[in-house]
Amino acid sequence: MGSQKRMNNRNMRKIWISLMGVCLVLALLPQLTDSAYLVHLMIMACINIMLGLSFSLLFSAGLVTIGAAGFWAIGAYTSALLVMKLGLSFWAALPLAGLAAALVAFVAGIIIVKTPGVAFIIQTMVINMILVQVFGHFEIFGSWAGLLDIPSPNSIGPLEFTGKVASYYLVLALLLVNVLGSYALYTSRVGRAWRAIRLNARLAETLGVDLFRYRLAAFMISSAGAGLAGSFYAHYFQSLEPGMFSVFKSIYIQIYSILGGLNFYILGPLVGGLIMTFVPEFLRVSKEIEPIMTGAILIGLVIFLPGGILSLPERLRSLGMPFFGRKKETKFSQSL
Amino acid sequence: MPLLEVRNLTKHFGGLSAITELDLDIFNSEILGVIGPNGAGKSTLFNLISGFYPPTQGRVIFEGKNITGLKAHEIAQMGIGRSFQASTLFMKLTVFDNVFNAYHMNYKNAVWKSFLHAPSALREERVAREKVLEILEFMGLAGLRDQIAHNLPHGHQRILGVSIALATQPKLLLLDEPLTGMHPEETLRMLDLIKKVQRRNITIVLVEHNMDAVMQLCNRIVVLNHGRKIAEGLPKEIRDNQEVIEAYLGTEEGD
Repeated sequence: MGSQKRMNNRNMRKIWISLMGVCLVLALLPQLTDSAYLVHLMIMACINIMLGLSFSLLFSAGLVTIGAAGFWAIGAYTSALLVMKLGLSFWAALPLAGLAAALVAFVAGIIIVKTPGVAFIIQTMVINMILVQVFGHFEIFGSWAGLLDIPSPNSIGPLEFTGKVASYYLVLALLLVNVLGSYALYTSRVGRAWRAIRLNARLAETLGVDLFRYRLAAFMISSAGAGLAGSFYAHYFQSLEPGMFSVFKSIYIQIYSILGGLNFYILGPLVGGLIMTFVPEFLRVSKEIEPIMTGAILIGLVIFLPGGILSLPERLRSLGMPFFGRKKETKFSQSL
Repeated sequence: MPLLEVRNLTKHFGGLSAITELDLDIFNSEILGVIGPNGAGKSTLFNLISGFYPPTQGRVIFEGKNITGLKAHEIAQMGIGRSFQASTLFMKLTVFDNVFNAYHMNYKNAVWKSFLHAPSALREERVAREKVLEILEFMGLAGLRDQIAHNLPHGHQRILGVSIALATQPKLLLLDEPLTGMHPEETLRMLDLIKKVQRRNITIVLVEHNMDAVMQLCNRIVVLNHGRKIAEGLPKEIRDNQEVIEAYLGTEEGD
């Protein structure tokens, strides 16, 4: 116990130090560059990371979704309508958007969580498709033309959230809350119950884990995370249309997590989301061939590096490359 | 009063009946052996008691409470633990984490306290970790606690399976063929462990094919054949029972 604990402590300190370093760099970023375009990309990356975190959270409980974009849309539309039609402040609409997404997940989850596996995947996809149709069909959601002129987040005292840089800090704060919340979940007994379900549902059941409730909770929390990201997105982008939230986007969200590494519930989406936001932009590929490129990346990944980019050091170690240190027996990475 | 009463229990799969009108009493602190030829319904009986299948008919009563039709996790929470026939473990986790997972339902603190890492929740977790070590010590796995379950030899995996079930702090422990695939040395070790567990006042029901072990270990034996109870009694009574011998060796109808 002693040695393992010490190792965990050292690992923890390393992780916290690097995390603070990353935060510092991210916080200083707008001061280092004048490019509004770069800041915009960073904001989009943060949104994508939050969506990836939402996918990974559900995956940690052994469920795979191709419907994350649908719950993202619920958050975005709820928030936009609450502010535009009811005149609510963005700060009130933000949590309500998360709540709305969780509520829809609750109602849908009662039915679909009972059939985990392929059935669940397909059903989340269908829910995503239905949601897009609903948003496109009804006048109140602006039909297929969508919603325009969504106001920016309200200012708090002297703090305004209209510019790119201010929006960036806002989304960074949201992301931080999201990361800390996920971390707290994964290291609590909820996270352990989810892990037990994912690794062996049958055994988890005999240990007293209520599969239905824990799966439903994972679905709701994951959807709430996507909803929060949607709320920010609506007020940052200031216009919404149903096409943005198609199943295609859900597949992209999946790729953020898979690219980074599915076993890394927090770092995976971070790495995957960043790469998938920046690389297509820098390669300046046209919208038509982008899916082809992404598809090729994904196929290559599944064949050569099924554990994602973050599994690269471990993979190199197992191939006997001494540069990356000794092969570790315990998989600490599993919990992050 | 028996710890567990099975009354008129019947289970049909389609037209096939796996268990037919079974009556069974399990008494406190005994080791009850359930034996019978392949397909006699032993595993089905376990799955019915632990809530994996709902029975077609009949009742299961645990400590005077009717538990028929409860879900598996609810039955586990009432104090019935089980280990599986195959090595059903969290293969990717360490030995320690395997048993730690089994502590799930013993937490008294609210979930949100665990989420916020409140001091009381952290304290509770520390106590749980100590108890896990205690169980590993008790089962002789303490030295292997950081090993990945997948890498353990078969015998140790089976012992780990029992350790996990034990960590749920059951009053009744169902062991499904705990000795299968073990070499003689491992078998002896497992027999010792099962006796040690019984001494902790845990009632044990075990399904096993190794007759010598069953005769040596069990206080009482129930024999099933084609889903019906054909005999019940002390080991030496069972050994001399004509019907049991026929069931095993086969009569004109074969098996």
